[in-house]
Amino acid sequence: MIPAQFAYRRATSVADAVAALADPDAKVIAGGHSLVPMMKLRLARPGTLIDIGGLPLRGIADGAEIVVGSLTSHADLAQAAAFAAAGLQAVAECAAAVGDVQVRNAGTIGGSVAHGDPASDAPAGLIAADARIRVAGAAGEREIAVDAFFQGPFWTALGEQELVSAIVFPKPAAGSASAYESIEDPASGYPLVGAAALVTVAGGRVTAVRIGVTGVSGTPFRATNAEAATLAGAPVADAARLDITGQDVFGDTRFDEEYRRHIAAVVIGRAVERAIARAQGGSQ
Amino acid sequence: MSIVGTDRPRIDADDKLRGATRYLGDLKPHGLLHGRLVLAMDAHATINRVIKDAALAIPGVVAVLTAEDLPTAMEGPMRQFEPLARGEIVFQGQPVALVLAETEAAAEDGVEAVIVETTSHAAVLDLEAAIKPDSPLARIRQIGGEMEGSAAMHVEAAGEGEGAPAPAAAAAEPVSANAKGPHRQQHGDATAALAGSEAVVKGTFRTSWVHQTYMEPQGALAIPEVDGSVTIHSSTQGAFYVRGMVAKLYGVDVSTVRVVGAPLGGAFGGKFNLIDPLVMGAALAVGRPVKLQLTRSEDFASGMPASACILELELGGTKATGLTAFRSRILLDQGAYGDWAMDGAVPVMIGGPYRWSAWDSLSYGVTTNRFGTGAYRGPGGPQVVFALEQLVDELANKLGVDPLELRLKSAAVEGDTGVDGDPWAPVAGREVIERTMQHPLYKKRGSLPANEGIGVAAGVWMGARFPSAATCRVDQDGGITVVTGAVDMSGTNTSFAAIAADTFGVPIESVRISYADTATAPHAPPSGGSGVTYSVGQSIRLAVEDAKEQLLDFASDQMDVAASDLEVVDGMVRPVGSPDRGKSVAHFAEQVTGFVATAPPIEGRGRFAPGNPSPSVACHVAHVRIDPATGEVETLDYAVIQDVGKALNPGLVRGQLQGGAVQSIGWALYEELQHDEYGQLLTGSFMQYAVPRADRVPNVDVDYIEVPSAIGPFGAKGIAEAAVMAGTGAMANAVAAAVGSRIRELPMTSPRVWRAANSR
Ligand SMILES: Cc1cc2nc3c(=O)[nH]c(=O)nc-3n(C[C@H](O)[C@H](O)[C@H](O)COP(=O)(O)OP(=O)(O)OC[C@H]3O[C@@H](n4cnc5c(N)ncnc54)[C@H](O)[C@@H]3O)c2cc1C
Repeated sequence: MIPAQFAYRRATSVADAVAALADPDAKVIAGGHSLVPMMKLRLARPGTLIDIGGLPLRGIADGAEIVVGSLTSHADLAQAAAFAAAGLQAVAECAAAVGDVQVRNAGTIGGSVAHGDPASDAPAGLIAADARIRVAGAAGEREIAVDAFFQGPFWTALGEQELVSAIVFPKPAAGSASAYESIEDPASGYPLVGAAALVTVAGGRVTAVRIGVTGVSGTPFRATNAEAATLAGAPVADAARLDITGQDVFGDTRFDEEYRRHIAAVVIGRAVERAIARAQGGSQ
Repeated sequence: MSIVGTDRPRIDADDKLRGATRYLGDLKPHGLLHGRLVLAMDAHATINRVIKDAALAIPGVVAVLTAEDLPTAMEGPMRQFEPLARGEIVFQGQPVALVLAETEAAAEDGVEAVIVETTSHAAVLDLEAAIKPDSPLARIRQIGGEMEGSAAMHVEAAGEGEGAPAPAAAAAEPVSANAKGPHRQQHGDATAALAGSEAVVKGTFRTSWVHQTYMEPQGALAIPEVDGSVTIHSSTQGAFYVRGMVAKLYGVDVSTVRVVGAPLGGAFGGKFNLIDPLVMGAALAVGRPVKLQLTRSEDFASGMPASACILELELGGTKATGLTAFRSRILLDQGAYGDWAMDGAVPVMIGGPYRWSAWDSLSYGVTTNRFGTGAYRGPGGPQVVFALEQLVDELANKLGVDPLELRLKSAAVEGDTGVDGDPWAPVAGREVIERTMQHPLYKKRGSLPANEGIGVAAGVWMGARFPSAATCRVDQDGGITVVTGAVDMSGTNTSFAAIAADTFGVPIESVRISYADTATAPHAPPSGGSGVTYSVGQSIRLAVEDAKEQLLDFASDQMDVAASDLEVVDGMVRPVGSPDRGKSVAHFAEQVTGFVATAPPIEGRGRFAPGNPSPSVACHVAHVRIDPATGEVETLDYAVIQDVGKALNPGLVRGQLQGGAVQSIGWALYEELQHDEYGQLLTGSFMQYAVPRADRVPNVDVDYIEVPSAIGPFGAKGIAEAAVMAGTGAMANAVAAAVGSRIRELPMTSPRVWRAANSR
């Protein structure tokens, strides 16, 4: 419960933080709510912690796109009106589903995304919203599409010497709405499965849909079969089973694989239903 | 004005809210060494070598102790007598070595550097397999010696009286040395009585290992004194208990050990002498103060949780007279150490609060390579209730009678023969059940939407009958100071204050409850077994009465009024009927505490041995909703109806009963310490071990009744453990009602409920 020894220093700028990451033993710390628990268990033992908490990367800019600074807390995301206004309710709902009040106040979206925990809530919303992860490196900034970002458990497209600086959310077409549904592990509160669906409804028909699924397997993924079924007006949960079948699904002695495959399909179906109801003008 | 019976905040609440309470973790004596444990990786192994060099080379590390380094004077088959593994590792998480260092961080570095070389053996984990004669043994080296005092305390509190040992013929089943028993209770011809019953039901039930999950992990601090004695500060429920046990282990005189109970950050039965033997031995070995406070993961890995059981139960009944007979066979997983195992008591407890005409009830305690058994609130209760109360419901269903009607017909009353062969003490099962029948939540049972269910169950806890003593002195300012050696657990001091204030006739503000350690306090039992208020409360009442008598004798001389014509009201001593002639208690107290006095100071003494129990019966009513698509269970509403004898402080009673409901929900839906097939703990933190958090707990309505005890102070009964004796049954019956089929395994997790709901 006591971390191994480490050095600590505050980053003075994004460039300074990026430069400090040249040391392979260094790690940035944002909210510390994933990193510090791992350090206390000595599962992570960075030689130097570079605190980026003071950098001006916090805040939500609502323009043609919604740009969320990487240090924005889950709590700020959960409360931001910009998402619901744009039909991106799922993004705020993912943030609201994270941990408890303290965790949401301290934990950051950038930290969550960079950590790449396959059981985290945020990826579902990011995938449904087709977000881009903006990263800063020695050579300047670049953007990575969310579909290419999550690559495996605790493994992302982020380079060794790169920092997440912002998450960019394009605004969906008029008539869009989204929803996030999850079933939480009663112990950890992390999702056993979380699904976010973003739909566009025109003329009473779903004309576009993206579904992001998290918690079920090593990599958050798009439920393409469920998307096709939604567009075809077919039963979504049935189609979702096909998405799950292709996945290497987590299972343990508490929540076995068969059960998790089953609830994943149920949750995907519920997310789609709620998103459609919202898009059709229901307040849900 | 009467204080007893009114709501008052706990007297320790203010300090706790302000963070002023000094817990064990806050104590940092000069020269302190911090301990951290090297825990066993194997579930079962022989230790070949412990390599300490690398750890000792770390700056700040002072010593690495193994069993040979502790100056123990004896051994015995108890965890308390084996603070570090002696040659054989018997469970994963067992302490193997203790690293002592100047800082906690250095100690933790040291732990990483210790190498334990072992030869692994088969881990014995499966209860049915473990008792087969050809099973490998969970303990290769069997340690002789008797179980001491510990398990006996709760076994007795749970209701096993003198109970004759099982007749040799009962051991028909050939068993391995992993099995302890059979413990058997028999009366009449159970086979014939079951055959003659109108309906018979049976089933096999499984329960899980459950951790006490107190907020403050286990810990203790031992300080060697210059005179060779040792002072132990401990987060323990029983200071005198610890003193006796560690003195025995290290072969020293009890007078050389002083145990000071630290404010408890939760205990629930789990805090008895777990860390004390370790720090005591370490302090003796190195001659410096040693503190060890477990981390949460260490507490999960190496604590003493509650046993899992497999229960086979068959019971019968008739419509006209209720329950008739039962037969049971219980395997209780005592783990590697049976310190607090209830294998001797469960054959009695499974009879519940009922009258039976015949029974054949047996159990085995089974040694396995998991933890060791600790006490946890109402030990054995949640397990037996899960089986018994489900079957009672099924029987009611089969007989076509209301489930409470069946229980009412069958409720034991004073004088009925208990399963242990002793007659029942006065018990208010009927009153509690009748009250439950009137509860609005129970009445709602018939009119529920789909997927909802309401379940009911009853339970009883006999209560400990510990002897105790206390003193009461009158201070120079007219206040009174009660001295007790009982550790304040869940507000007992607050009730003591009310007892003292009312007994003496002084305002509550004039009462001081002084906790004293084992060097100075009158003898006190451990705070457990629901026996503290019951026994110590009465000792305090007697001590206060004695002091009051002394005061009145003195006042009688001074006022020239017969003592029998004097009363004390609101801190004033006055002739009955002439309140205006009163003089303050302080007026007299000053005279006997000055430099020169004509009479000695006032010091009352109270001693009490309850003799008989005053069992408390409780019914729980649970209302749940299940989601058949996912198996999730939501507890919508809950009620606890319990006979408490006398609510000395209704607020605290409500707290206890609500806490019992919450822990019941935990047992029922979430809590399970799981091991894999190698005996590796899979649920070693709150990331995997689920407890009912606030957002999963409904409103808990408390509806207690007061059928006074003739023994406890002001009629009070021990209430804390009865409050968990019905919960698993009520929850299981509620889930069964919602699902439409029964789940016979705890906890009733969402996958289990989903499968039950979809296999109808
Ligand atoms: C009790 C508890 C409950 C929780 N429950 C949930 C839950 O239900 N659902 C959920 O999704 N999460 C949950 N979390 C995790 C929470 O969301 C974390 O806050 C989040 O995952 C990490 O954010 P952080 O700012 O704390 O990151 P940190 O812990 O500071 O960092 C995490 C990792 O990301 C790296 N990092 C941080 N910021 C950046 C950046 N800008 N660029 C590059 N790398 C970076 C760090 O080097 C580190 O490797 C819980 C955490 C706790 C403690």
